[in-house]
Amino acid sequence: MARETLDPAAPAQPEHIGAEAEVSASPFAPRRHKRGSWTRALVAFPVLVVMLFGSVVLAEAFSSVFIEPIVTAQVLLNATGLFDFPRTWPVTDEIILLTLRLPSVLGAVLVGAALGIAGAMLQGLLRNPLADPFLLGTSSGAALGASAAFLLPAVFTASLLGFSLLAGFAFLGALLAAALVYALATSRGRTPVVSLLLAGVAVSALLSALQTLIIIFNDRQGFQIRVLYLWLAGGVRVGSWAQVWVVAALVALGLLGALLLAPSLDVFALGEEMAAHLGLAVERRKVAVVALSALLVAGAVAISGLVGFVGLVVPHVFRILLGPRHRLLIPASALGGAIFVTLADLLARTAVAPAVLPLGALTALVGGPFFLALLRAAGRRYQW
Amino acid sequence: MTNPALEFDSVSFAYHRARALEGVSFHVAPGEMVGLLGPNGAGKSTILKLAAGTLRPQAGRVCLLGDEASRLPRREAARRVAVVPQEFTVQFPYTVRQIVEMGRTPRLNLLGALDAGDHAVVDSALATTNITHLADRVLNELSGGERQRVLLALALAQEGHMLLLDEPTAHLDIRWQIETLELLRRLNAERGLTILAALHDLNLAARYFSRLILLNKRVVADGPPSRALERELLGAVYGAAVTVGVLGGEEHLSVLPPGHTWKGASTSVDGASPPPQVHALAGGGTGALALRALADAGIPFSAGPLNVGDSDYALAERLAVSCIVEPPYAPLSEAGLATAGAAMRAAGTVLICPIPLGAGNAGLLDAALAAAQSGARLILLEPEMGDASDRETLLTRVGTRDYSGRGPDLYRALLDAGAQVATSPTRAIDLLMSAGRASS
Repeated sequence: MARETLDPAAPAQPEHIGAEAEVSASPFAPRRHKRGSWTRALVAFPVLVVMLFGSVVLAEAFSSVFIEPIVTAQVLLNATGLFDFPRTWPVTDEIILLTLRLPSVLGAVLVGAALGIAGAMLQGLLRNPLADPFLLGTSSGAALGASAAFLLPAVFTASLLGFSLLAGFAFLGALLAAALVYALATSRGRTPVVSLLLAGVAVSALLSALQTLIIIFNDRQGFQIRVLYLWLAGGVRVGSWAQVWVVAALVALGLLGALLLAPSLDVFALGEEMAAHLGLAVERRKVAVVALSALLVAGAVAISGLVGFVGLVVPHVFRILLGPRHRLLIPASALGGAIFVTLADLLARTAVAPAVLPLGALTALVGGPFFLALLRAAGRRYQW
Repeated sequence: MTNPALEFDSVSFAYHRARALEGVSFHVAPGEMVGLLGPNGAGKSTILKLAAGTLRPQAGRVCLLGDEASRLPRREAARRVAVVPQEFTVQFPYTVRQIVEMGRTPRLNLLGALDAGDHAVVDSALATTNITHLADRVLNELSGGERQRVLLALALAQEGHMLLLDEPTAHLDIRWQIETLELLRRLNAERGLTILAALHDLNLAARYFSRLILLNKRVVADGPPSRALERELLGAVYGAAVTVGVLGGEEHLSVLPPGHTWKGASTSVDGASPPPQVHALAGGGTGALALRALADAGIPFSAGPLNVGDSDYALAERLAVSCIVEPPYAPLSEAGLATAGAAMRAAGTVLICPIPLGAGNAGLLDAALAAAQSGARLILLEPEMGDASDRETLLTRVGTRDYSGRGPDLYRALLDAGAQVATSPTRAIDLLMSAGRASS
């Protein structure tokens, strides 16, 4: 007898009706096509690059001496060697733009990129949307380092590679704090994410207490608390090209490492156990992520003090726009952080000129409402 | 001789001070499907972790295809075994496809880019687990059963030779439990995938696994369900008295806590069977899913006529309360037809699987129609048909398996007589469960 060739074990298909319904999904439904986020990235990255250039032009143009943005853009483009606009501006403008201002503006770009990359990496590793680059004790470590520098007689005179003693100590403080946190959180060769978070909080509290003690017990010897606080409150201070190159090297290293770690960070989102089952050497990746982000943060701290909020918020913005995958998220956060800090630094310098606002306060002041608005607009799409 | 897929050789393991396993030895051959049973703390999950190589035994050896599991590089271990955890949460809004793509992790190079071949594997894993239509959804919006399938797809994308599952049905309702286990069985049968699963449901274990290992820190029993599920063993291991018996067929063991009687009606091991509530018309494998679904839902049913040797016959013999039998390859007899008609009227509900419609089966549908006219309820099982309400699609599909020339007409008459259409066995069960509120 002829037989219908039905697969006897064909699975039931209770989802079929749902599949039909999904075609007419709500506007909040995630994008349909599987390469949707890549197509959006193709648009997003050129836009981000143009925006970054625009931010740099504005930051260069507006300062104690105003220079036309058009002129500024032409000078900057000429300086890349790729363009050759005829010079219609005085040589002094070119000197102001390229020699006096550019290191500071590039410093802001680098600080933002470093914090954006570190924030995206740490949020991914710690599986915690509240993680920020300063979570692993780096901020209080940097603050303690900077305070300790004030105990030394040479604080305002000594320098290395263009960095002041203050910056150097802050850099070392951040790195040592992260190393301490990692060491404390590790036992039996494992570093659970929760231990890392808790050790970060505990070490931060401890180092802050030490910093307070240093300040209090040195008050009578003319300890310059105000200078210290102004330094810590954030503001890009780049005195030389050497500093720019050092930090740029750190950021380049961090970005390259972060891109290589990006697929692993995606897998970490499934939990450490699954990451191990999918073939990752979990602990080794974790050390790499923590070390790279500590380097990035320390580099940023050395030229800008503590600029909060950037590393927390920028990765969220791009997760909403481009999805959670780290291969897009990390470079986007680097560009976005750079744009954000460059503009915030511009605002800090010009809003109440000639006075300068602390950059760290400004990033929170401007970034907070923007982020909340974006979160509300994204609605259900950004819940998990 | 080839290496066993998995080999435990006198393995002991303790967490800090707490002893978890002691002197456990067993082999799993390639292509086997083995269930691990035992109470909480018996060491089921520990065995899975040792097999995956994420734990290292304190004594003894655990080998994957001949190599010690915990000494394999993680990447290599992940190419050999895929682990399906009980549950998982995903931080950040990854889509289903993005998650399944992560299954390729152990096979990607340093840059981690997927090529066309990787995408094909991912597509196939999505299709096999029946979640292609969910590919662009965010994982955490999905139901428990759908999430379970994503986990399975993720594991399939790894292309290991072995699947380790930790209580794959723990958080699922009966529909998803059945579908998950059917899927595992199919993967095992069609792809030769070796399967080792920790299970908590003894009945499902007995039904879907041909070999069970009963654990209580050591191996208590290892063999077919009838051996592993002996009453004394279970009582000793679980510390609770249980009844082990046969529900509607010789090979179908069921385990119940004391004080319970078998579902449906009367009886224990040697008592009379409950009266069937459904009569199933199946054959040629068309009823495989439906008959198991009926048994799993605890609905007593009769089936037939079925030819000895038919794949549905073997199943009905095990699961059905009674089965009308015809000799191998014989045409449908008058007596068989009459008995079937009586069985349909007695059960009050007829479940018609998508049987091929030769002259004999057309006669059966005549009988079903007659039963319907005397009050019986009809359910037409028609899988692989998207929209249940579309009569024309149904009739077209019937036409493709009609060799009597009467198929579409018969189905039209059955529909006119109030027959309901179920697009999957689980829908059919839903319809049966909602009995009484029928055919409005």
